[in-house]
Amino acid sequence: MKKILLLLVSVLFTLSSFGQSSISYSPVNTVTKVGDTLIMKFQYYKVDGGDLTLGQFDFEYNNKLLSYISHQSMAPTGASFARNNWTGYKFNPKANSDEDDMDVQYTWWKDEAGNASYSTSANWSVERVTVQHSTAYVDGAEFVKYSFKLKDKFNSGYDNYNDIIKVNWANYQKADGTGIQTEKNPSTQSLSGIEGGNAGAFVINLKTANSAKTDYSYTIKNGAGESVATGDFDESGQASISGLENDVTYTAEANLKEDATYLDEVVTVSDLALVFAEAIGAGSGPSGGSTTFDYFIQDIMGDVVGDNDGVDFQDSYEILAYLQGVTSGNTNLITQDGQTEDYSGIESTYGAVANNTVTFAKSFTPIDSDVSSKTIDLAHGLRGDVNFSHSWEPSVSSGEKTTVSSSSSFRMSSAAGSKYNQTETANIDLISEINDEGKVVFSINSEIEDMVGSQFNIVYDPSILSLENVIFDTGNEMTNFSNVIEAGYVRVGSFDQNVSSTVKAGTPYQLVFVPLEDISNASGLISFRVKEGVKADGTQINFIIQ
Amino acid sequence: MKKILTLLSLVLMMGCYQDDDLVTLYPDQEVPQSLQIKELIGIKLESTIVTDRVAMNVKLPLDGKYRIKIRHGMNNELISQEMITAGEGDNLLKVYVASLEKSGYVIQLTDELHNILGNQSFVVN
Repeated sequence: MKKILLLLVSVLFTLSSFGQSSISYSPVNTVTKVGDTLIMKFQYYKVDGGDLTLGQFDFEYNNKLLSYISHQSMAPTGASFARNNWTGYKFNPKANSDEDDMDVQYTWWKDEAGNASYSTSANWSVERVTVQHSTAYVDGAEFVKYSFKLKDKFNSGYDNYNDIIKVNWANYQKADGTGIQTEKNPSTQSLSGIEGGNAGAFVINLKTANSAKTDYSYTIKNGAGESVATGDFDESGQASISGLENDVTYTAEANLKEDATYLDEVVTVSDLALVFAEAIGAGSGPSGGSTTFDYFIQDIMGDVVGDNDGVDFQDSYEILAYLQGVTSGNTNLITQDGQTEDYSGIESTYGAVANNTVTFAKSFTPIDSDVSSKTIDLAHGLRGDVNFSHSWEPSVSSGEKTTVSSSSSFRMSSAAGSKYNQTETANIDLISEINDEGKVVFSINSEIEDMVGSQFNIVYDPSILSLENVIFDTGNEMTNFSNVIEAGYVRVGSFDQNVSSTVKAGTPYQLVFVPLEDISNASGLISFRVKEGVKADGTQINFIIQ
Repeated sequence: MKKILTLLSLVLMMGCYQDDDLVTLYPDQEVPQSLQIKELIGIKLESTIVTDRVAMNVKLPLDGKYRIKIRHGMNNELISQEMITAGEGDNLLKVYVASLEKSGYVIQLTDELHNILGNQSFVVN
């Protein structure tokens, strides 16, 4: 009997034991100084795990100390490979768990954490690699190689190169979809013995609310206005420049490329509401007076007609016409698809007022004995973006407004330093469904009752869906708009110019699409980008969609 | 001792039990191996890396209305959502990704009240 029991216990023990594979990552080459290229390999070891056909993992690197150069797929012929990256995020491992347990961390990310799995963190970038193959991956085979440029730690906020790369989770699967338990090796990657720090290269830090830092370029000019250095910012918003001379004064400016894909999302109904409020409040520009803006720079950014006369109704109607897709006859300066109007200047004085003029000082002078002069922060803004969704919000005190508006129901700036940043959150439901007629109906359902403006930028697949109709049920007083920006991209919304009527609760917007081919469901065919609301007092509503 | 043996035998038998035996398949639906779901409820794509569209199996516990959500793979933001009316067991559907940005996503099956029934990560390439 004892033998039988022992056998059963052994069987049970075997059933409860699982094989485990690993993800290994290590430098291919030796790096010794700032500017060197670090090549990292990421590879699979089967150990006693199952046959892997799907390998997916996620790692983060310190973008203040490393700059991404390139990656090289090492997937075998016939395999599918994908690489994704996001800058400004850092993984939050599952609490009270082994951070080296990669499948536990993967499950945490996928099934448990929701939006708690990553935090925003400007110093970190996240990379995700996926390799899928029909046959088992070879033990020891590499997934990918990454090349990074080693950055100077001076002014980075770090005093060493410890823990600069870390694998966050791994999703290893067998052909039948069964997960393979996985651990990582090592826990983190560090570098030591790096020389060349504080070597004197000039550094520009880009300051913008836009997360797509690599879409920006810089230009350095000498006193004669000749360009002496140009280039692009890296994913952390930094640019390292060599060859500048000490005791010579230069100017620096930043520009956003005009083919960025999100320019239609910069100026929205929230900007419209602010500009309308300013026009209603008889804002009078840098010289002061009644205003609803927090900064003088908003008078410049809101002057989308470009008459250099501050913000007035002409500007507000110009933005409304833009959102409605109506040609006004003016050549406006609104940031939009294919068009940018940039402002940039040294951050410490960006938007300062001198002699009743908003300034964007650009000059700097490197001095050999002053290491702080070897770095500048360069702030950037866009015309029309008065709510700073993609622009830098000034920090200089002389750029802040101090006067109050008494004629508007909108927000009021009461004193310098007490800026109005109020936002609210509210639930809405955006959902598509195939109706009885076989059409795809996209409904925007809202129970919000005090919204004077709203905007939804909706993307659909024009090769499968044709937009047949937009049905508004917003109430009788709202000015509604719907315009197809381009094939498969439509902007829908409402705004009350009197800032008194509100969007009716219920289903204020329905988009009806006709399928161009037989479909039994519509998953992925319709997605949403901009989704904003604004209340009568100017409070911006951030929609939450469950 | 007999009780212990019986208990252990039961544990062993349960360990060997096939979940598949519990699945009710519609007779006109043939589920390819790449879309088979062992559990009673879940969601599965034919491929993790997708370029245009991909087959999907949604396995449901009961007839009814369910939501299929696509969330961003980094900030978990909901970017697409569909309501489907489907039957118990396997339902072979599609996910269309041509108009989604190239990025990482999670596709999620929930009931009408947003209770999560299954997740899978995928990448639009």
